[in-house]
Amino acid sequence: MPKFKPHRAGIRIDMTPLVDIAFLLLTFFMMTTQFKPIEEVEIILPSSHSQFKLPDSDVMTINLAKDGRIFLGVDSQRLRATLFGKENELRASIEVPRERLGDLLIQARTANPKLRTVIKGDVGVEYGVAEDVMDILQKTRITRFNLVTNLETDRAGN
Amino acid sequence: MAGGGGEAAEPRKRGKAKKRKKSRRLGIRIDMTPLVDIAFLLLTFFMLTTTMSKPQTMEINLPPEDVPVEIAESNLLTLRVSEKEEIFWNFGIEAPEKVEFSALRNFLREKNQANPKLVTLVKIDRKAKYNMMVNIMDELNLAEITRFSLAQLTDSDKKILEKVQG
Repeated sequence: MPKFKPHRAGIRIDMTPLVDIAFLLLTFFMMTTQFKPIEEVEIILPSSHSQFKLPDSDVMTINLAKDGRIFLGVDSQRLRATLFGKENELRASIEVPRERLGDLLIQARTANPKLRTVIKGDVGVEYGVAEDVMDILQKTRITRFNLVTNLETDRAGN
Repeated sequence: MAGGGGEAAEPRKRGKAKKRKKSRRLGIRIDMTPLVDIAFLLLTFFMLTTTMSKPQTMEINLPPEDVPVEIAESNLLTLRVSEKEEIFWNFGIEAPEKVEFSALRNFLREKNQANPKLVTLVKIDRKAKYNMMVNIMDELNLAEITRFSLAQLTDSDKKILEKVQG
């Protein structure tokens, strides 16, 4: 008996390498994680077969909510402050009346000419809203823009 | 050796202190289990919340507004989408005919193979859903048609559709 007891108590695994790896991965995921910004409105994306990825930065998003409201968002906080005022710089997107959208787009584009325009429309929004927005885009000479969609896989066969 | 002898000659107190220090150094063992628990908890949290996939986008090019493009009528395929999301097609000023959405891709492919100079004009009713537009764009992309453009569905277009619908 006395021979057994100390033996049993003596099992100690050296956890240091385990902890090392765990913390390494932890820091990696903490650094790379990007929290999804809180959306002003919920948007259900339509799906398409397009494979283009959304760029990481310099994106200007025009959100079309289901009820036809338009929200404009830019990814840089500084630009948000200049466009919508200091008090709105932390909001992901701001509701914009249709008449002001063109001016804001021009302002944003002059502040950062590299901005890419992206339309994020809800599946249920009326096409008329999208048509108006595209009209405004065309008037402000943004003739190249992207539509955000989910990747559709079900009928990708043919 | 001389040093060792010197140490032994030191007062008792100091010798004891040194001995205690040594044994303590060996004996320090922190129980790392809670640390590991928390580390893995956070690790799983960040692993699960990280989104590796970025949303997809579809690119659209609009022609600049002030540059009119002239197309021969025979090369113009018009797709009109009604409020009820029915699709009608016609060449030039011919009477529109209905086409099902599921048949649209092959239809577009055929028409474009028959006439490579074909330009597709898409007119969608304002009351149709945005989803319809994305779907039609998608079909055009899948049918590898790059020459298409969007236009407004005017009242005269609506009348044409009404006539077909009866």
